Amino acid sequence: MGKKQKQQPKIVLPPELPPEIHDDEVEYSDDDVKFVNENREFASLISSLDTKSITKHVTRVADAKDDALEKLYEQRRMKKDAKKETEETGLQVDRVDALPVKSLDGEVYYRTATRTAPVNGPRKEETEEDDNEDKGFVKLTKAEKRAKLKKSRKEGKKQGKEVAKEEVEEAPQSTVLDEVKEDLKAEENFESKKCKLAELGNALITDPESNIKFLKDMVQLSKDKDLTIVKLGLLSLLAVFRDIIPGYRIRLPTEKEQEMKVSKTVRKMRFYESTLLSAYKAYLQRLIALEKLPSFQLVAVQCICSLLDKNPHFNFRETLLDVTVRNISSSNEAIRKFCCSTIKSLFTNEGKHGGEATVEAVRLISYQVKDHNCQLHPDSIEVFLSLSFDEDLARSEQMEKDKKFKDKKFGKKRKNTEASNQLPENDRKKSRQESISKTREEVEADYKAASFSLDVMEKRQMQTKTLSAMFEIYFRILKHTMQSIVVRPETNPGALSAAVGMEPHPLLDPCLKGLAKFSHLIDLDFLGDLMNHLKILAAGGSNLSNTLEKLPKCLTVSERLQCCIVAFKVMRTNLDALNVDLQDFTVHLYNLVLEYRPGRDQGEVLAEALKIMLCDDRQHDMQKAAAFIKRLATLSLSVGSADSMAALVTVKHLLLKNVKCRNLLENDTGGGSVSGTIPKYLPYSTDPNLSGALASVLWELSLLSKHYHPAISTMATGLSSMSTEQNQVFLSKSSPLLAFKDMSIDQELSFEQSGSIKLNNKRKRSHGNATSDSIGSTTVTSSFNEDDLRKKFSSHFMVLHDIKENERLRSKLDKTAKSLQLYEQYKIQKKKRSKPSK
Amino acid sequence: MRPLDETETSVVFEKLFKFVGNNLKNLVENPSHEGPDSNPGRYCFRLNKNKIYYCSESLVKRATNIARPNLVSLGTCIGKYTHGGNFHLTVQALNLLAANAKHKVWLKPQSEMSFLYGNHVLKSALGRITENIVSGDGVVVFSMSDVPLGFGVAAKSTQDCRKLDPNGIVVLHQGDIGEYLRIEDEL
Repeated sequence: MGKKQKQQPKIVLPPELPPEIHDDEVEYSDDDVKFVNENREFASLISSLDTKSITKHVTRVADAKDDALEKLYEQRRMKKDAKKETEETGLQVDRVDALPVKSLDGEVYYRTATRTAPVNGPRKEETEEDDNEDKGFVKLTKAEKRAKLKKSRKEGKKQGKEVAKEEVEEAPQSTVLDEVKEDLKAEENFESKKCKLAELGNALITDPESNIKFLKDMVQLSKDKDLTIVKLGLLSLLAVFRDIIPGYRIRLPTEKEQEMKVSKTVRKMRFYESTLLSAYKAYLQRLIALEKLPSFQLVAVQCICSLLDKNPHFNFRETLLDVTVRNISSSNEAIRKFCCSTIKSLFTNEGKHGGEATVEAVRLISYQVKDHNCQLHPDSIEVFLSLSFDEDLARSEQMEKDKKFKDKKFGKKRKNTEASNQLPENDRKKSRQESISKTREEVEADYKAASFSLDVMEKRQMQTKTLSAMFEIYFRILKHTMQSIVVRPETNPGALSAAVGMEPHPLLDPCLKGLAKFSHLIDLDFLGDLMNHLKILAAGGSNLSNTLEKLPKCLTVSERLQCCIVAFKVMRTNLDALNVDLQDFTVHLYNLVLEYRPGRDQGEVLAEALKIMLCDDRQHDMQKAAAFIKRLATLSLSVGSADSMAALVTVKHLLLKNVKCRNLLENDTGGGSVSGTIPKYLPYSTDPNLSGALASVLWELSLLSKHYHPAISTMATGLSSMSTEQNQVFLSKSSPLLAFKDMSIDQELSFEQSGSIKLNNKRKRSHGNATSDSIGSTTVTSSFNEDDLRKKFSSHFMVLHDIKENERLRSKLDKTAKSLQLYEQYKIQKKKRSKPSK
Repeated sequence: MRPLDETETSVVFEKLFKFVGNNLKNLVENPSHEGPDSNPGRYCFRLNKNKIYYCSESLVKRATNIARPNLVSLGTCIGKYTHGGNFHLTVQALNLLAANAKHKVWLKPQSEMSFLYGNHVLKSALGRITENIVSGDGVVVFSMSDVPLGFGVAAKSTQDCRKLDPNGIVVLHQGDIGEYLRIEDEL
């Protein structure tokens, strides 16, 4: 600065060169750097300046004026040259040199450009690297670029070695550069769009009323070509909509209303609402369109579900519901889960939409079931389990009706009397009264409309609709299952029957569960049909297997057990007055106990069936009870500890209730007088009443008292001592279901301890000895067993190998023998031929 | 004493079938361990003086020793032919029916006596009822402690019973163990 001021009196002099500051000492602000980098064109202007001529000009003028100055300049020049040389060598090291310098009087000097201009290669690299530094976040592209460069170089080399090396290198470099630039541009675009989305969304959330226009922009953005941008757009729109959608349904003003004059705020509000609605509509259309594309399906469904979950009251709910229900049995698990949880939350939070959405959803699902011929994922029906019906509604409604009716009666009477009294009075009073009553009615109606709570009547209607739709689905499923069972024996063995027989019933299980849950709501008129259906299903084609071909039974044991359970539940909840004995179902249970396989079937279902059908039922015939006691004891011998515990608990219940059945515990066969007409126990009889179980002895208990599991052995000994300790009051604390659950948990724990299921038997034995040392001992036994197993396997394989070898050799022998035979035959024939010719 | 002819057999079996359903097979195939034979014989139906008897084969063989006019009874009497030619089950068949019954009705203790005096079973007397009885089916009546009391014909199906008023008739009386006292001479 000081220098400049000194030179000011010599006006002729051109502006002084910028003060000499070593490049390293110059500090650039980040902004400057960025600015220059972004506007390279500006810089290029400067770089194209002919600095030499400028310096020449400056020096010439200076020469003419002052000698002293000339010297100074010369010195300076010398210095400069020296510096240039040094810098050119160190150019590649010092990157910052590529940046321009802003002088004090505001001019930008792109010094390095002039210096490095002659050196082509390194400059390019520099710019590249600069670019890279700008986009610090894209580290990946750098590596890619390098790879590309290398590749292109190699290709260039291959193309021709005779071409000058520099040329070769330059050509691919430029193309690579273009590519890189495009990549970078895309990245930049992506980044900017992301930022824009974020900004718009933020603005919308902070002040939706003034920024409502941005919604359209966002919707536009979400129509981008880029996959991720679209997804991001959809999701950010979802977040915005979730936030700004009002708690009421928007009704667009009619034309008439639009013509009316309104205040400013109202107009503003209307504009806001209409924009919101149109944007929402556009968004939904986009979502629905995208939902059909497999790549977007998950995101679209996610958006739709969460919108429906959050705003079930808002406009376009029907479309949302439609899409959700359509995807409810999707093969994609994530989508299915989204849809199911959404529908469940719809069912549980009925306050949000007042029950209308529930009715619609159930109805849509019923259409879905109908269309797909009951071949859906079980989840789609299982959602009904979260439905809830208000039972008090009906009762209170009835009460109110009665009251109203009475009131009406009384009111009429009163009115009549009043009217008769008031007849002579003047008309004015009458008209006034009328007007008062009229206004009162109006006010009441207004209040009703304004109040959020629904009318009891309406609510009830809604529930009735839901209920009927739901039961329609259930009955449809039952019927469908029935048909697939019943049709089978009618059609001759062929392709059709096989196809029907193979058809699975994915919906039956949740359907039965639902029926059990809502059994108290079933109409009595349906009950007969329902029971008939259940009975046939519980029979499960067991009576059909006697027909010509033995097809695999189409219903599993657990499904059939569930049918029995449902039947019992339905009967129990519906009939307080009439005690109906479900004999057929008990017979089915009796037979199913034999078919039960612990691994294949659900033990819990069996335990539940035992609880509901045997423990909770009040009376039993003695024969039946005895038959069940015998069969369950037999069962408990052959199944795992949890199942056998459940069976034993049931046996205990039965023995407690039926004193005469304790004859089974006595040690003499024959049963005496109680055994009835059947003198011998028939273990395979299908009817519990005809099994003659009373003629047998419960010898199973003495075996079970030596069971490896301590709980079971104590239980068995307790049972067998029951007859002797008759004075003792037995308190049955647990139900079979509880016992089963306890034991199964116990079992799992012990499984974890032992670690391997293969060595179950060994483990059991060790348990019997001592339960505490299971960990150590089992590991030892397992290692020992592995060795043992290996030996056995190796010997086995050796034998197998020998057998194979033997077979191979034998076949070879056969072949050779055959060929020999053939040869001999050939010889004989030849001889024969030769003879006649002779 | 003679075996039943075709029409008689069908009539008897139809009647029994109403009560025992498919368990009729058990009645016929029930092995009898009477007599000297080591392998058990069967039970069969015989007609003697308008009455149908259910008896084991060995008993039938031995009964042939007695002249027809002298033979009063053999085995268990299960029914008789009326003058009009209809077949009626009698109380003695109760044990047979009760063991194989398909449809059952349990009576409340306070209304047992009423049934044993020959009255019909009202809805108020019902303690329990088997599911899916159709009107016209044969029903065996039990006390609540599973003692067979008699039998009859269902007047109403189980479904209809639900809506029936307490004085409605559920089972029409046909036979009860009270008859052993009331009409001892006729049996």
